[in-house]
Amino acid sequence: MKFLAFSVLLAALLAGCADTPSKEAAIEDRGSKAAEAQSTDGAKIFEATRVETKAVASAVPVSEAASKSGDGVKTSGAAIPLVSTKTTDSVQTHGVAAPRSEVKPLADGKAQVAADTKNAGTTAPDAADGKTAAAQDNSTLPKPDAVPSWGDLKNPESPLSKRRLLFDYDSAAIRDEYRPVLEAHAKFMKANKDARAILQGHADERGSREYNLALGQRRAESVFKAMNLLGVPDAQMEAVSLGEEKPIATGHDEAAWQQNRRTEVLYQGE
Amino acid sequence: MLFRLFLPLLFCLLILPAKAVMTIEIVGGAANRIPVAILPFSIAVAPGMPGGLLNPAEVVAGDLGRSGYFRMLDTTDVAVPPAEPQALQLPPWKSRGADAVVIGQIRPQGADRIEVRFWLYDAVRQTQLTALVYTTTPEGLRTVAHRIADAVHQALLGEPGAYGGRIAYILKRNGRYELQVADADSQNAVTVTASPEPLISPAWSPDGRRLAYVSFEDKKPVVYVQNLADGSRRAVAKFRGSNSAPAWSRDGRRLAVALSKDETSQIYLLDLLTGEATRFTRGGALDTEPVFSPDGQWLYFTSDRGGSPQIYRASLATGTVNRVTFEGNYNVTPAISPDGRTLAFVHRRDGRFHIAALDLNSHQMQVLTDTLHDESPSFAANGRLLLYATLVNDRGVLATVSVDGKVKQRLSQSGDLREPAWGP
Repeated sequence: MKFLAFSVLLAALLAGCADTPSKEAAIEDRGSKAAEAQSTDGAKIFEATRVETKAVASAVPVSEAASKSGDGVKTSGAAIPLVSTKTTDSVQTHGVAAPRSEVKPLADGKAQVAADTKNAGTTAPDAADGKTAAAQDNSTLPKPDAVPSWGDLKNPESPLSKRRLLFDYDSAAIRDEYRPVLEAHAKFMKANKDARAILQGHADERGSREYNLALGQRRAESVFKAMNLLGVPDAQMEAVSLGEEKPIATGHDEAAWQQNRRTEVLYQGE
Repeated sequence: MLFRLFLPLLFCLLILPAKAVMTIEIVGGAANRIPVAILPFSIAVAPGMPGGLLNPAEVVAGDLGRSGYFRMLDTTDVAVPPAEPQALQLPPWKSRGADAVVIGQIRPQGADRIEVRFWLYDAVRQTQLTALVYTTTPEGLRTVAHRIADAVHQALLGEPGAYGGRIAYILKRNGRYELQVADADSQNAVTVTASPEPLISPAWSPDGRRLAYVSFEDKKPVVYVQNLADGSRRAVAKFRGSNSAPAWSRDGRRLAVALSKDETSQIYLLDLLTGEATRFTRGGALDTEPVFSPDGQWLYFTSDRGGSPQIYRASLATGTVNRVTFEGNYNVTPAISPDGRTLAFVHRRDGRFHIAALDLNSHQMQVLTDTLHDESPSFAANGRLLLYATLVNDRGVLATVSVDGKVKQRLSQSGDLREPAWGP
């Protein structure tokens, strides 16, 4: 009995799904998905994308005449040759060798960086506390004076792994709480001159897409300017916007919107 | 045991993509609809006549009925469609309540062409209003039917119809973004670009042969121009930062665009031949969404230079800027009617986004829609109808509303529809 019921269900489903293929169905499955790499924060970096284009005939010309007969212009149907173009984007790769810097506490409590790393004019160390004593074993806590390296970008203990700055509604002002994050990224970029950051601004879904694109751009530029002030040269950063197009929270309420009003810091080659 | 065998199979069937059919429903109509009888066209049976032709009466009745201005009478009981005016009896149709009657015929002409004629009658005064003849191929029959609907609309209402045009829009489904071009009645949709990354802001060139749009495939917004005839395209604005909001000049040689390459989002005029971008707005406020006026004198755009997003217009000759919208604190996405007299835009009121229209002479503003998340208004070529995008039950749909706010339609499809643009 159960078997009969399920075969009927199966038959019904199969019947429902049997369709004459539409023009669109033919196109639907072409094209490969973008390969996406995840950064630690869940922000997406896009690799080579494949975009397909197709031809369509222009508006069909038709002749009109009064009721006396007239000769017509030829009309043509919509013959559509398929043309596909591929767009690829090569992403620069960057070696991810991560020299570990050794830190030795000096007598007055300050830490000193190991000899083989570049000295890029790091800022004064934060006040030493009892934790620096633990530096002698291979702890993952970055030391205040340590020259930030590519490995630190993925270190969840390092402020460099914080990539997302949230914003208030209709605002591009950077909240005070993000100051240490900005300082860490600025320090990293000054220490690694070939590092290039993409500052990706976003907006929540409300309102016009183009206006939201410009709002997101403002948020990215806000971070750009803050980094400038911390000494990062223009050439090492680009501010772009994804507007409302790539939300991380898909709800339609303030809880989702506040997550989406953000700037993400991404590094090329990650 | 067999249940366990079948269950995974059942789930596989459930995720097959739904057949993509666009449906149109009328949501609001004019108070007094003109009753019209569209009789089936008489299709000649003759040697050399192609078979399987669609009856234009169906398309004409569909167009006029959906417009909200006409009420279609039932004509399914017409046994033998009149092929000539002499065969038509008007008084019975007048008693059935028709104000107007349409009859037509299709005859072969030459090897692979057909001739389509129609006659429109005033059933009350028993006079002929319009009669036209078209020559086409079987494939062009649908286009002819839309032209007939335009002609009937014009004759009965005194203004042109909008049935023969095309629309472009973005369809998001199955994780992909497709730029589609379809007839104004949503038939014959063709995907001209498909991408795994978002596409926004399609804009028709004035000659209808090209589409500009913004693509995120390069990891940031870039403006592309694509030829519809062969699908070829190139990136025309890929400057540092973001590139978006393309709008065509009337001669099709320039695009106004929003670029952030120098100083936040500003408007530039891009020469499509040389690739040079000349800065147009100054001051460093947020400027975007440029659109040229039909007479080529003005550039309308959105700006927050006054503290909130409003619509401004700048003289292309002198550069002088005036503010255009004053009501409320969020007015964006300008669209200008082909006669240059009406500005349509998105207006936020009580946190909701509606399509509104502003008479540029009287400065009277009217909110046209009661949908809540409206975007992207676009005028039909007759200037009487607006196409826009909105959300219904969380899904993106397209909708039309007449410029007086009275007549409404909704177009939906499986997937999310957004960013519509009515072709020239």
